[in-house]
Amino acid sequence: MPALETLPGLRIVASPEALDAAPWSAGTVVLRFAPDDAFAIGATAVDIADDHAIVAEESGFVGRWLTREELDDRLVTHIEWPLPTALPALAQGLIAGVPAKLWLTTDRVLLLCAAAYAAELADRLG
Amino acid sequence: MSGDGRIVLDGRPIPYRSGDSVAVAVMRAGEHPQHGGTVCLAGDCGNCVAEVDGIAYTRTCQTPARPGLVVQRHPAAGAPPLRAARQIDVTTAPPAGRIPVQRIEADLVVIGAGESGTAAATNARGQGRSVTLLDARDGEEVVGIYAGPTVIVRTPKGMAHIHARDVVVATGAAELHPVCPGNGLIGLVTARAAEQLHTAGVDLGVSVAIGSPPSGVPCTPVGGSLRRIEGVGRVSAVVTVDDDGEGERTTACETVIVGLGRAARTVLWRMADDLPVTVVGPAAQSFPLPEAPTAGTVCPCSRVDVDDLVGVWERGFQDLELLKRAALVGIGTCQGSACLPHLRAFIAERSTAIPEPFTARPASRQITIAEAAAGVHVDAFRRTALHDEHVALGAQMDRFGGWWRPWHYGDHVAEYWAVREGVSLGDVSTLGKLVVSGPDAVEFLERLYPTGVGDIRVGRSRYALLLNDGGHLIDDGMILREAETRFVLTFTSAGAGHAEMWVRDWAETWGLRVHLLDRTMSLAAINVTGPLAGRLLERVGLPSPPRFLQHVHAEVCGVPCHVMRLSFTGEVSFELHHAVDRSVELWRALMAAGRDLGIAPHGLQALQGLRLEKGHVIVGMDSELDSTPRRLGMEWAVKMDKPDFVGRTALARTAGLPDPRRLVGLTMPGSAPTEGSPIWSDRQIVGHVSSSFASPLLGHAVMLGWLKRTPFPDEVMVDGRSAVAVAPPFYDPEGGRARA
Repeated sequence: MPALETLPGLRIVASPEALDAAPWSAGTVVLRFAPDDAFAIGATAVDIADDHAIVAEESGFVGRWLTREELDDRLVTHIEWPLPTALPALAQGLIAGVPAKLWLTTDRVLLLCAAAYAAELADRLG
Repeated sequence: MSGDGRIVLDGRPIPYRSGDSVAVAVMRAGEHPQHGGTVCLAGDCGNCVAEVDGIAYTRTCQTPARPGLVVQRHPAAGAPPLRAARQIDVTTAPPAGRIPVQRIEADLVVIGAGESGTAAATNARGQGRSVTLLDARDGEEVVGIYAGPTVIVRTPKGMAHIHARDVVVATGAAELHPVCPGNGLIGLVTARAAEQLHTAGVDLGVSVAIGSPPSGVPCTPVGGSLRRIEGVGRVSAVVTVDDDGEGERTTACETVIVGLGRAARTVLWRMADDLPVTVVGPAAQSFPLPEAPTAGTVCPCSRVDVDDLVGVWERGFQDLELLKRAALVGIGTCQGSACLPHLRAFIAERSTAIPEPFTARPASRQITIAEAAAGVHVDAFRRTALHDEHVALGAQMDRFGGWWRPWHYGDHVAEYWAVREGVSLGDVSTLGKLVVSGPDAVEFLERLYPTGVGDIRVGRSRYALLLNDGGHLIDDGMILREAETRFVLTFTSAGAGHAEMWVRDWAETWGLRVHLLDRTMSLAAINVTGPLAGRLLERVGLPSPPRFLQHVHAEVCGVPCHVMRLSFTGEVSFELHHAVDRSVELWRALMAAGRDLGIAPHGLQALQGLRLEKGHVIVGMDSELDSTPRRLGMEWAVKMDKPDFVGRTALARTAGLPDPRRLVGLTMPGSAPTEGSPIWSDRQIVGHVSSSFASPLLGHAVMLGWLKRTPFPDEVMVDGRSAVAVAPPFYDPEGGRARA
């Protein structure tokens, strides 16, 4: 498995309505970890309509884009939960026993996990 | 199947032919896979198990022969010896993926590809269902059915974990084994096994058939009932009697072929109680029981004779499950496949009803630990961004609170002195960090914590306990106010995950307007501690470090940090919280800038001693599940004049009650006793030591320990030595050094 690399971006916790309405520059991948929690990969600023929003620079995630074939060949055997079929979708669970997430689109997949788990995940995926 | 070749049996090469199983090859050589007993060649019994390529209890009848395969027969008496365990370095993660695991989703799993199973699979496929059809003849051995249902299968390629909606058990029926004197001799085969051996060209010698004869196998049918089998080591004759039990006849032979009937293979079905599992075909049929056994070995796996059963029965174990446990029958290799019909017949003859078969549990087949553990991972332990730095500095890494952390860097006493007299770095990235923001943030935290929150000024912080509704300590940490409506909470490394969930639960329960963001794994933290810590920070961009319990955002060595002034070590301490991807850069810069100050890192071993000298409690180590602030001597951290907070009701209710438990400080000369040591008073154990440390500075041992009997004694015995109670902190009780 090629190395997982830091995914810099912004972490935003705000009201779901404010997150829904937030404008993102083209190409920004926004992962909604929860209705009030988003990780905008590559973003450096955001205009969010919530005075109490928590907006923090995030470098605590590492990841790697994979093809769908690489997902099937390298990851699926390490996943014990059904992958979502309606795409795009964010899936979260254990991969090879390590907490991780998958951002699945029709043509590629982003594997990401907390940087603290990167070495463990890489070891287990081989 | 491979072509002709040779396998090695007990160190001796023997030939096999294409298509032979190991058992057939062994019998072709005139040997027995074990040391006697009926051979079924169907994978039902344990009479052909041997060590194959180092794996004991391998069913040789289910193992294809291949060149160079090494077979070592089990000892005639007793079990095969256990191999010496390989030494494993517990500080490294065990290797993963030794046994490959295939995970399969299927609408239906059909176990058994005979007529019934194939029909069930065909029918389901016709309905558009996805079907996985398993056949033991293809090396697909089902070892268990678990909730889900999940079917665990050993395959030639490794293990398969199949998650199914429904399971059909179509495993057919097994042939009955004879139970009579002499049934442990070499030269007994079932009718189907005889057919297999004959087809494979194995010479059975002079053969007689008892019961239903095999098809196409040259043999002499012998009428009547089987009485006993004679021979020394090998069969030399079979003795039968007329159906009325009279007219004993002896027939000389070399092989006895038994066709005594069948019994449904229900072990998988029986272990799937309350699961969507159905049984079809012969496996679902009710076959007549054999005659009750009167002599001979009933359970060849555990070597249990009829006499053993009678003895247990006469001692009152007259239920099948009790008989099984008392006689250890049916618990061996075949899990009752050979003995269960005879056991039921044994009980039926002595009672009024035929007992139901006993409970079956996974695994129904012998599997190795590696196979059982295949696909199962040990807990994933996190690494801080500084992990490799610690390793490069010679740290002994170990697991603490879900993280790999440095225990020491070679000399924990030197690390201790670096903190007490110079400056030292500690990796505290593992601390929990939670941001709380919202118009109701103050009210939320006032309700959550037993300490005052609203009076914490922006830029200040306060130590706080986290209590549950029972008033018991569940975690502790700092509350840092960043703005009027924004706070950062810190938690212990081990308790951070639970604390975060606890805080989130209350936020949801109360419905207050707060946002929560866990930054535990997004921010690293380095503790710069020691009397020279301030001087070091002045050098690296912080000319006016915050005062005690203040915190600021500032750049240190060019790295944006949230600098928190507090102290766990008892010396001046600054925690530098920063982005994980800048941590190595910051650590190295600090180490370089402090070189002439004698800077050195310290590990957890030194830290635990340093904090113990200050009397600081480690939650979970010094506290117990029901430790209240009073028991911990920390009532100063509780503001009972607040209108409410989690745990207040319980604390108020119990405040006036006597409490015979107290965490106390203890000192005694000499070395530190083992943590957990009992505390004695008047020849009785009155408590135990929760933490201990031989203080290099104080020259004696300091401890925290629980006393659980009143009146609390001032003098106790620990480790055979006299110890005295001393109110902590043991070091710098005025706290002047931390505030310097």
